Amino acid sequence: MDILYLLIPLSTVLVLGIIGVFGWALHGGQFDDLEQHGAQILQADAGSVDPCQGP
Amino acid sequence: MAASAQAIDRIAAAPAMALLDDAAELARFTRWLPARDGQRTGESSLRIGGMHCAACAGLIEAALRRVDGVVDARVSAAAQSATVQWDATRTRPSALVRAIEQAGYSALPDTAAGARALRLKESRAAVWRLFVAAFCAMQVMMLATPSYISGPGELAPDLKQLLDWGSWLLALPVLLFAAAPFFTGAWRSVRVGRIGMDVPVALGIGVAFLASSGAAFAPGGLFGTEVYFDSLTMFVSFLLGGRYLEMRARHRAAVALEDSVGRLPETAWRECADGSVEAVSVLRLQRGDTVRVAAGQAFAADGVLLRGATRVDESLLSGESVPVDKGVGAALAAGSMNLDAPVVMRVERVGADTRFEAIVALMREARTQRPAMLRSADRWAAPFLWTVLLLAAGAAAVWSVIDPSRAVWVAVSVLIVTCPCALSLAVPSALLSATAAMARRGVLLRRLEAIDGLARMDTLFIDKTGTLTQKESGGVQMIRVDDGAHWSEATLRGRAASLAAWSTHPVARALAADRAGDATAWRDVRELPGQGLEARDPDGTRWQLGRCAAATLDERGLSSIAVDAWLSRDGQPLAGFRFAESLRADAAAAVAALQRDGVRVALLSGDTPARVERIGRLLGLSDCRGGLAPDAKLAAVRAAQARGERVAMIGDGINDAPVLAQADTSLAMGEGAQIARAQADGVLVSNALHDVVRARALARRSLRVMRQNLVWAAAYNAACVPLALIGWLPPWAAGLGMATSSLVVVLNSLRLAR
Repeated sequence: MDILYLLIPLSTVLVLGIIGVFGWALHGGQFDDLEQHGAQILQADAGSVDPCQGP
Repeated sequence: MAASAQAIDRIAAAPAMALLDDAAELARFTRWLPARDGQRTGESSLRIGGMHCAACAGLIEAALRRVDGVVDARVSAAAQSATVQWDATRTRPSALVRAIEQAGYSALPDTAAGARALRLKESRAAVWRLFVAAFCAMQVMMLATPSYISGPGELAPDLKQLLDWGSWLLALPVLLFAAAPFFTGAWRSVRVGRIGMDVPVALGIGVAFLASSGAAFAPGGLFGTEVYFDSLTMFVSFLLGGRYLEMRARHRAAVALEDSVGRLPETAWRECADGSVEAVSVLRLQRGDTVRVAAGQAFAADGVLLRGATRVDESLLSGESVPVDKGVGAALAAGSMNLDAPVVMRVERVGADTRFEAIVALMREARTQRPAMLRSADRWAAPFLWTVLLLAAGAAAVWSVIDPSRAVWVAVSVLIVTCPCALSLAVPSALLSATAAMARRGVLLRRLEAIDGLARMDTLFIDKTGTLTQKESGGVQMIRVDDGAHWSEATLRGRAASLAAWSTHPVARALAADRAGDATAWRDVRELPGQGLEARDPDGTRWQLGRCAAATLDERGLSSIAVDAWLSRDGQPLAGFRFAESLRADAAAAVAALQRDGVRVALLSGDTPARVERIGRLLGLSDCRGGLAPDAKLAAVRAAQARGERVAMIGDGINDAPVLAQADTSLAMGEGAQIARAQADGVLVSNALHDVVRARALARRSLRVMRQNLVWAAAYNAACVPLALIGWLPPWAAGLGMATSSLVVVLNSLRLAR
């Protein structure tokens, strides 16, 4: 169980890292409007489709 | 019917719409982007109304992009606003607004963009704090689990030490960052020598962290070996969760208030050198301009009265509730209300120089004023908090004798469990979410007490003209009673229309909207509430529009002719004007619903008793009083109040303003005179009477919810404090209980907002 002495500090650092990533996303405005982008798919002229995915 | 009302609105809004393009108005909601290749690009913020779902945003964006000259358009469904970049050489803001209106939505210039940016910042900060606290709490919980589930001796001491250090490291951001608002709040209230809700909370968090740190880094020392980082972080995250919900409710209410403030540019009627009148934005007014102000309108600038005499309501500025008489040469203050007669003023001070800023501050204060129920809760807060602190100190002292190792934890538990968050959230959270719900349903409340009044009213007085009924604008019928030799029909109609343009009364508005007035330069125009307009033409002849003396009508044998307004010259009626008057579409249903609900509905009108009777019969009302002057209306309301009835009033006109102020609860129609809206506790934005029925149902539900909240919060505190005192409630359970009780209160209140 010696690995715990490595994993516990590692998980703590990982948690702090994840918090940092979330903070970046939040302050980048990704959570300001959660509904609107989902509804974009319903619009007829929603812009060009990715050509790589076309038939 | 509705269409004709809209037609009137559109006529009234037409000059305002054109004013949107005025550079001075533009500056309120547009900023200019750095010019690229000689183009001037403006970026305007618009408030969008009528959006139901996120998909609407795309439709509006598409409609805007189709306008020639629009560079870019972004619509935010969450903020109900649009940001449009447009080329100044190819389009104008009024075209943008029209495009949005053609797509089926409404748009107003957005002057509150700054406030919204601030709210976004505040909301991001709150989510960020909440996430840090909740995520760390989860991880601390994981690290704490081994010591909860392991048997004695199963967990190696050095491993336990490592887990405690990990918990300490993860609790650090919670304490230093997420919990910072509690510490700053506590510090602020301590510095001004008052005790606030944050003090016990900050004390509890601080003591728990210090004691746990002591136990983590010097096990077996002064603070024993038990760490409580899990309770601490969980407590902070639940508390932040409660505050986040509270902030959301506050923001929603703020958005509703902003919707009511968003408006088309304010129009002033400036007299040109040649005597004609033009509509200009109030921002365009300059020192020395001559401006006409109709009765029922607010003065747009500070100035001096040039022609006419009137009474002015300066209550917003001075708190003086009695209207002040103003003659030629008297000083007029911007934002005060012209009560009696149309006047002409010379502008002395405009913009930031006026006392307008003071009024805005006053209005804000009036809006945020807290109801009596809240204030009584505040009065109890300080003694309550002192008791909490004394109880915690007493418990620590007693326990340090019985079992010193538990003394700190009992004190922390007491501090945390008694945190009066639930108690202090009980009333405001319910009121705020009810106000926001009403705003969404078209009833804007200016005073939160109105919720109480709406729920408890026994008697509802309704004005007739403009409130229960509306004028059909199409086809004003003119009945001539003169000899027919002196005046052509067109002259009479034009004369009446030009005189009617001085007033905002529904009848006058319909007359003025019917045709363009002639160019008579009226002098000494006065509007007598309940009587009508009186003015002199350039020759000095006295003209009246409105009522005619009963004796004169009898003498000429005209008293049997029912008209809405007489045009008289020197007291002799020349022509009568009659409009088709119709009940508002939902009036009958709304009145019936209110009567079923146990509200006594009565009509109070200044109109002729016969017509009031007719409308009363249509609605099945037994108590219809017609022919009432404003003071008679006031007397009727006072009499009902003296009988101990709780009186509500709905009205729209200048003559209703005193009654609206006297009634316990008052609502004004959205298209009513400005003074009526200023006096009322709430405004029916959509002019639909059925909104009153729904608002009353909602108000009753909010009272019920408020009572539930208070009972719950009080019961929770009464049950948990003894448990904490005898040491049966560990800090983590205290934190959980406290946060749950706050969340129960907030969620219970949010039921109203649906």
